[in-house]
Amino acid sequence: MNKKLLHKTLRAYLIYSLLILIIAAPVFYYVTQKLYLQEADDTLLLHKKEFTTFAAPSMNETEINDWNKFNRNRKIGTIGNLQKDTVYSTAYFDTLDAELEPYRELQAPIIIKGKAYTYTSRINLVENEDIIKSIGLLFLVIISTLLIGLFFIAKKLSLSLWKPFYKTLEQIEYFQIDDTRQPVFLNSDTEEFNRLNDSIKKLIEKNTAIYKTQKEFIENAAHELQTPLAVFQATVDTLMQRADVTKEQLAILDSLNENVSRLNRLNKNLLLLSKMENDIYSDKKTISLTAAVKKNLDFFTEQAKAKNLLIRIESNEDFEIKSNPVLTDVLISNLFLNSLKHNIEGGQIHVVIERCKLTFSNTGQSIPLNTNTLFNRFSKANPSEQGTGLGLSLIKKIANINNWIVTYNYENNLHSFSISF
Amino acid sequence: MKLLLIEDEKELAVSIKKYLTDKNFIIEWVNNKKDAIDKISIYEYDCILLDLMLPDGNGFDILKEVKDQKKTDGIIIISAKETLETRIEGFEIGADDYITKPFHLSELLVRVQALIRRKNFNGNNFIAFNEIQIDTLSKTVKVNSQKIDFTKKEIDLLLYLIGNENRVLSKSAIAEHLSGDMADMLDNHDFVYAHIKNLKRKLNDAGCGDYIKSVYGLGYKWKNE
Repeated sequence: MNKKLLHKTLRAYLIYSLLILIIAAPVFYYVTQKLYLQEADDTLLLHKKEFTTFAAPSMNETEINDWNKFNRNRKIGTIGNLQKDTVYSTAYFDTLDAELEPYRELQAPIIIKGKAYTYTSRINLVENEDIIKSIGLLFLVIISTLLIGLFFIAKKLSLSLWKPFYKTLEQIEYFQIDDTRQPVFLNSDTEEFNRLNDSIKKLIEKNTAIYKTQKEFIENAAHELQTPLAVFQATVDTLMQRADVTKEQLAILDSLNENVSRLNRLNKNLLLLSKMENDIYSDKKTISLTAAVKKNLDFFTEQAKAKNLLIRIESNEDFEIKSNPVLTDVLISNLFLNSLKHNIEGGQIHVVIERCKLTFSNTGQSIPLNTNTLFNRFSKANPSEQGTGLGLSLIKKIANINNWIVTYNYENNLHSFSISF
Repeated sequence: MKLLLIEDEKELAVSIKKYLTDKNFIIEWVNNKKDAIDKISIYEYDCILLDLMLPDGNGFDILKEVKDQKKTDGIIIISAKETLETRIEGFEIGADDYITKPFHLSELLVRVQALIRRKNFNGNNFIAFNEIQIDTLSKTVKVNSQKIDFTKKEIDLLLYLIGNENRVLSKSAIAEHLSGDMADMLDNHDFVYAHIKNLKRKLNDAGCGDYIKSVYGLGYKWKNE
């Protein structure tokens, strides 16, 4: 799935922050603990130093019991075989809280009145669990504050920074090459965006120019061809009238005649296509679909007879469309022609008029047509046939102009073309 | 019958001239606007064939000139321009018919004949060929004074064939004549055969001569036996 630019930036921030949290939390924990223990050790040693400096010299043996009686954390033991100070962590059961409490303890050899004793001093430590909880909470607060901050900053920044970009994007999205309206790009104070706008503008201008030239070329070519075609046609017509034409020459004339007709058809359809692209047929009227189909029926029934075809019309409900009458006529006659042309001897044509839908189904070749190239200009299922190869692209073009949808499917040996209005 | 052909394409003009001259038309040909206006001012024509794109101007100017001079010459526009607007403009200024290039000469001929028939309308809407008599107004056909039932299309075909007597008509020309604007779509002219066959049968049944001749592969010809 595609993500928005903002989300991508934020995702990177989020991943980085989490990574830092994961690495930093244990490191922070160990460092804190180490410093804490060190501090505890220092305190223990200081207490011992104070004891040896101030209390020990004036203490006598009887006072040891009193000392031990009133001091919970500093005791003087009688066993005096310890050689040097040792510090270690341990735990004692606290009867008041009824739980094990961690302690740091120092055992040191001391001398009172010439006799060796063991001095034991302890400090209650904060529980590890508590430290971890506190650190975790602290980090969570920091990270969330950071992320929320980042989110808002990034959002605000991207909105203002990327604003020209989104404007440009919107313009491009609405751009259509056959539309006369050109996109307008706003200038921004960001160099990159101005460069982007300039490049797109140039690209569009160039392509529109090429498109226009192509369009004009087709139109001019089709138009210019009409005069030589007229001369060609007239010359063939004249030649045909000669009394001394042999059978062989007649066959040649027939072929010439067929081909000039074909050229003529091709040219007219090209002209029609290019006119549509020039928006000549833009005025719309309300047309009854059934009437539009029936209007063409006589002509095509006559044509169908020559191929022994049966035309069946099924109109359950008349439906009115808003379109150009000329184009609608071209659309319907091309649909008829298409189902007629690619039909088989003795086959049938089935026209169904429904609400918002017109379907032409016909018998024909027993394999489905290639839908990829079906609607392309000059795309023919059978290259040797006499058709212009423009019929379906005319249908498609007219549908596009009116925002209708053309679909093809092949089912039960019937080729169907549907127009959804 | 006098015709003025205004057409700058020489080869096309020659073909038109040749095809129509054999049909008892006297044709004068000019290839520019200036000569055309000169001719129109001096002479009367039954019909003017007018191309719209001329080297020294627009054919519509000639059309306006004819109307300004209150001439009654019939006018058929022959043009490569085939937009609906041009057609409508032509008819609005006063043209009687409009043929788009390219066209079949046979088609031009029947259009000219039809126009002249309409112009010299006074009681002259009958076409006779031997035993056949056609009333172009009421669209009825009589053979040996006996009314025969023909469809509109068959009468149209009959008029086309008789109008082009002794001319070879290709299947495509007949198809285009019969199907009008739809002709651009057709790539199959089999239906022409069916129409000719029906017409032939009906004429035969009515005791007509066998005037429709098949021209090997190419088409048909109406010929007096």
